[in-house]
Amino acid sequence: MNRLRLNNILMALVIALAFIWLFIPFVMAVLWSLVDPSQPWTADKLLPPAMSFYRWVNMWQNSSLQPALLTSYTLAPSAAILSLLLAFPTSFALGRIAFPGREVAKTLCLLPLVVPPFITAVFFTALLYRLGLTAWRPGAIIFAHAVVFLPFSIRILTVSFETVRQDHIDAARDLGAGHWARFKAAYLPALRPGIYASLLIVFIQSIEEFAIAFIVGSPDVVTIPVLLYSALGQDYVRPNAAVLSLILVIPNVFLMLFLERLLKSANPTLASGKG
Amino acid sequence: MTARQWITVTLLLMPGLGLIVWLIGTVVYIAFAQSFGLYNINGESALTTAYWADLLGNNIYLRSVRYSTYIGVMSAIFSVVLAYPLAIWLRKPFTGSMTIGSILKAPLLVHGLVAAFLFVNVISYHGILNQFMQWIGIWDGPHRLQNDNNAIAVLILQTWKNMPFALLLLTGALQGISDDVLDAARDLGAGSWARFRKIIAPLTVSGMQAAIVIIFIGAVSDFAFQVIAGPINRQSLAQLMVGYKGRGDWNSAAVVGATMIIVALFGSAILAGLSKIVMRGRLK
Amino acid sequence: MAAINIQKLSKDFSGFKALTELSLDVREGEFLTLLGPSGCGKTTLLKIISGFIEPTKGHILLNGKDVTKVPPEARDTALCFQSYALFPHLSVRENLEFGLRQKKVPALDRKDRIADVAEKLGLGPQMDKLPNQLSGGQQQRVSLGRALVMRPSVILFDEPLSNLDAKLRDQVRLEIRRIQKDYKLTAIYVTHDQAEALAMSDRIVVLKSGQIEQVDTPERLYAAPRTGFVADFIGNANVFTGRVLPQKTPTIWRIETPIGILETGNNAGTEGAEITLCWRPENAEINDDGALGGTVTSKAFQGHFTDLMVETKGVPYRIQTSRTDVNEGDTIGFNVPGPSVILLENAQ
Repeated sequence: MNRLRLNNILMALVIALAFIWLFIPFVMAVLWSLVDPSQPWTADKLLPPAMSFYRWVNMWQNSSLQPALLTSYTLAPSAAILSLLLAFPTSFALGRIAFPGREVAKTLCLLPLVVPPFITAVFFTALLYRLGLTAWRPGAIIFAHAVVFLPFSIRILTVSFETVRQDHIDAARDLGAGHWARFKAAYLPALRPGIYASLLIVFIQSIEEFAIAFIVGSPDVVTIPVLLYSALGQDYVRPNAAVLSLILVIPNVFLMLFLERLLKSANPTLASGKG
Repeated sequence: MTARQWITVTLLLMPGLGLIVWLIGTVVYIAFAQSFGLYNINGESALTTAYWADLLGNNIYLRSVRYSTYIGVMSAIFSVVLAYPLAIWLRKPFTGSMTIGSILKAPLLVHGLVAAFLFVNVISYHGILNQFMQWIGIWDGPHRLQNDNNAIAVLILQTWKNMPFALLLLTGALQGISDDVLDAARDLGAGSWARFRKIIAPLTVSGMQAAIVIIFIGAVSDFAFQVIAGPINRQSLAQLMVGYKGRGDWNSAAVVGATMIIVALFGSAILAGLSKIVMRGRLK
Repeated sequence: MAAINIQKLSKDFSGFKALTELSLDVREGEFLTLLGPSGCGKTTLLKIISGFIEPTKGHILLNGKDVTKVPPEARDTALCFQSYALFPHLSVRENLEFGLRQKKVPALDRKDRIADVAEKLGLGPQMDKLPNQLSGGQQQRVSLGRALVMRPSVILFDEPLSNLDAKLRDQVRLEIRRIQKDYKLTAIYVTHDQAEALAMSDRIVVLKSGQIEQVDTPERLYAAPRTGFVADFIGNANVFTGRVLPQKTPTIWRIETPIGILETGNNAGTEGAEITLCWRPENAEINDDGALGGTVTSKAFQGHFTDLMVETKGVPYRIQTSRTDVNEGDTIGFNVPGPSVILLENAQ
């Protein structure tokens, strides 16, 4: 019974701490995003004296928020699809062919995760300059995102390929299915959750990615994180930064929760959120 | 494996693994080559150690190596030290443990830049923390907390963002230990501390190493937290590198980049080795 | 003096009564088996004795001392786990040494004890291997050795053989018994396998829904089960209810059952009483002029005997015979000798 009480005290403690480190910061951000410019929110007042959606409307109409959203939400799906296409053959090999050195190959796939993103960003730019490929920056970002986030798609799809059952393939073959029919009957059902999960995770990562978008894209391409970065830096207006922060974080939370469920249905051992 | 099968496998690996190895390999190669004056974008390429010599004699560079290493080590240690007891607590499910777990992992869903904004907002000169401290009467007037010299703000942000990640890895490692094994240790006379030292710690050491290495590399190469909340009189390696690159000094940027790779590599090897020595409860 | 006194032990798991007012004395040096179906409370009892579960009510005395509130790490018991629970990162030697180090046994003493146990269990060549390099039987032995080096007052076994294949199980069973005798250990052994219990135990405790059904030696338990549950759980039994008829002679009672009238020298009580009785399938004697009879519905040849399912007036029961000339569909006659009729307590 003593243990139970200790547990309850600990739970109360964690919830209290969570209040301080999650709830208060977010409430502050929401409040700041609602501050009406007619009356400034000064330190002596608990709540903003005048609240409105003015900042939200204003940011939407008069800043580079719209083009940034458009850019982010164009780059991310493109990177997700490219990453999926690039990952497919490798995952097939890793998941279904037993070749010597397979474990080494799997480990090598994790390389982009251990090289600091700013290194990749800066020297990928150097490579682009050297090759004279600086004309189409969005393309460069899509390519870099697709490759840097390949470890996620390869990992997820490899597990999916591993779960395809050989007897399903054999059964389809036994019943006279050709290559395409076999793929549709035996592979696709097992791969589908993995494909969705791969698309979604690369999409989320790409939306969030800052280093490559900032370095490779500068100065023409502005994504949401880049916009937020400049809003926190040279043109810091707190209510505007609050609006941008919330725009970046809210869809992300829903996408991640959706991803978690998707991964759980695809493979319980993979359900670990980001990583 | 026949030659034909090898060709098939190689071709299949090309677009995925091949591209990864090519891009990362090229990037790292360029960083090292440019730091020695090779592979220049404009101007002559010639092998020289001048850029290294130049920066190794430069105080700003040396200070940022020390600073980034400090941030990396401290962030890794804080995150893991906080996550360990929580992971042990959450090892066995109880009523509400799922909720607690989700609350603790919530920062994983928050972008680093957003986290930085939220934090700066709270600690700012007229922020809620200053107001609160004055209201309860501990402080007489508002304190300037942002961009503090000891980079406490950066460390708090790094821990805020990385602790959940360490928690994730450690919970996984801890849940791999069976109840029976812990009960057996208990039955043989091991109290809570002995159970932790001799069973839990050695069996979770690889999960902890993974957490430490990944957090360390991320924190060593931090840019955003440093720029927004870090001390003004010091620069992180990433900040310094981006600065040189912005001025078109690719070679100096490459020296800093190469340094960052070396620090990340050696630092994680040392940290992983140390954590193994500390955590391993071999009886001999 | 008894090694363990269990006094009126009860355990509730949020409403579910795992044990109810259970009392039991375990004698010094005896091999006692807790036998029962899953959910009968045997594992709960073992975990209370080892200290992992605290009872809701009641006391446990170990060598006369009340240890009810003593945590497992301070209790002089050693537990052999069903899963072996070897420490995967420690070698066999280090596994064996673990408990001794916790108890601060001096190094020289440790060495002697480990060498002794290693020799008895034949673990010599495996001492520097890790658990995952051992076979199931070897892991089993290490787990046993790890408990034995502690020289505990009581050694506890939680179904230690259930992960071994049949042949190995017989071998390890004998080994455990031999070592228990060698070291004069008090042992409590949990199993749901009645054959294992009969083969190993000095005494068996049959548990049902958290209460003791019967405690006795294997032989007595088999020959004189007290209830239908015990009769059926240990070996096979044909259990019937019946009504006592007028006595035939002052020493022979007659009982009417659904399959016919049984006669026995055991005191069945007064005329008209409703009673429960049973007899073992192997005690029926097939005989063409037998007092009882039925139709064989199925047969299964088992080697040294044949198992017959027989039916009388729609009531099925079992007979085991050494005769091989009986076939499905035959009508047979048989007798149940008076001494083989076991009178049971009515509560089923």
